[in-house]
Amino acid sequence: MRAKKTYICLAALIPFLLVALLYEILPLIMVMINSFQPDQGSGFTLGNYTTVFTKLIYQKAIINSIKISVTSAVIGILIAFIGAKAVDDCRGRMSYFFTTVLNMVSNFAGVPLAFAYMILLGNAGWMVHVGQRLGLEGLANYNLYTSGGMSLIYVYFQIPLATLLLIPAFDGIRKEWQEANALLGGSGVGFWWHVGLPVLMPSIMGTFSVLFANALAAYATVYALMMNNISLLPIQIAGSYVGEIQIRKGLGGALSVVMMILMVCMILITNRISRIYEPTSRKRGECA
Amino acid sequence: MRKGSKNSPHKGILPSIVIMIYLLIPLVVTVIYSLFRKWTDIVPEGFSLGAYGELFANQEFVQSIGRSVLLCIVPIAITVGIILLAMFATTLYFPGLEKYVQMICMIPYTIQGVILSVSILSLYVSSKTFLSNRLVMLFGAYSVIIMPYIYQGIRNGMRTIHVETLIDAAQMLGCTKLYAFFRIIVPNIISSVIASSLLAVGIIFGDYVLIRNLAGTSYQNMQIFLYQTMKSDSIKASAVFVVIMCITFLIAAVTLYMNRREKNRK
Repeated sequence: MRAKKTYICLAALIPFLLVALLYEILPLIMVMINSFQPDQGSGFTLGNYTTVFTKLIYQKAIINSIKISVTSAVIGILIAFIGAKAVDDCRGRMSYFFTTVLNMVSNFAGVPLAFAYMILLGNAGWMVHVGQRLGLEGLANYNLYTSGGMSLIYVYFQIPLATLLLIPAFDGIRKEWQEANALLGGSGVGFWWHVGLPVLMPSIMGTFSVLFANALAAYATVYALMMNNISLLPIQIAGSYVGEIQIRKGLGGALSVVMMILMVCMILITNRISRIYEPTSRKRGECA
Repeated sequence: MRKGSKNSPHKGILPSIVIMIYLLIPLVVTVIYSLFRKWTDIVPEGFSLGAYGELFANQEFVQSIGRSVLLCIVPIAITVGIILLAMFATTLYFPGLEKYVQMICMIPYTIQGVILSVSILSLYVSSKTFLSNRLVMLFGAYSVIIMPYIYQGIRNGMRTIHVETLIDAAQMLGCTKLYAFFRIIVPNIISSVIASSLLAVGIIFGDYVLIRNLAGTSYQNMQIFLYQTMKSDSIKASAVFVVIMCITFLIAAVTLYMNRREKNRK
């Protein structure tokens, strides 16, 4: 009797499983199956993957995507380090105000962000006018519509996210360590290089993989600026499914799988690196 | 402020201000742009609120706001409902299944919008049933994409209260487990549910990739409206931008307020 009642309660799981199955698991399985099937018809083929790795346009999409994701994540982390350190240095009203701004701006991405940058740095953007007036070549000739020009927008949306993720990590750096370092005659730079960075490394690596994924999958910002005229993974994936010319499920599937593998690889690499730094931090935790 | 530090207590202020200026410049410039008729030189000319007047008189725009709201409410209600039910089953009857629920909830975090949207599209677009309805696909996709956040919120909320003890006490007083869960546990974690729902509102409201791929321009929400306007009239688009920005900031402010209150309570 009791067992029967318990199994009725299993029914509470059904709605959850149904939604997950229909909109998460099945689509994911289908992408993987598609990637091993020709665009038209059925059967097994590795052709999609050979296309992805041999055709210049797809090679370029993969390389460009990795390049812009890594660059924007690295720059984002550098600035976020300064930002999070600043929050740590000045507790009180200023840091409250700063984190509020960060929280607000972190929600701000996609089409609106692309538009704001068009107004700012587009062909007739305000900064471009200012650059022309003041004779600043770099600003006057800024071209937002290239992957280099766009990386500024990537950096923009990485900063608030990275800073917010790094702020809690700075709590792990004790004031006493800094004082001990100063008492023993160490410099500020030396402290951060030998103590601060290694302690923060696991958080920095974790943040890096989030930022990398964030940039790798960024679609709206790029699409709003360039439509389909740029070789980046998310653009190529969306293009092969909702393309104007023809739908290429197999190719899109293979590109999707490549993108997922890239993300998983980055998570594994960053985990590996942070593990190098973790044993020491664990010991430190035990001592305290 | 730190005592005993050699440096002045103001040393973090300069970098904070520089970063804030960098982050706020694009927003401020676009807001100014929306308020003037002409801005082809360094200083704008002809102050006017005309773009806003025009915008709110535009039926399509008002409708797009309504659509954005609907797109937030339905998936969040679905996800909160199904995860609460699932948590009811796992915490009270099948603790062993908990880790699978967690795994399913965390997967969307790594798939991301582009892949999820195209895979859902290719799976259901040629279906003859209601599954091929664009709005149904969109609700499903949003429900999945916000799962990690809602799950985390509910999970964190449940960690702060003694679920077992509360249920036992309620049962002793003659309640059923179901009643106890939804009338005692859920009200106790409601603030974490609301906080994570607000986070989800922010995500759905800012989304463009899912709606573009799944609904195209057939279901015009605010993001699609901005994209369409941006190609024809940049002053009008900047007014749309300002409206979106205000709503985004409002959502973020309420979320932040809820989170800070939650933190202080702990």
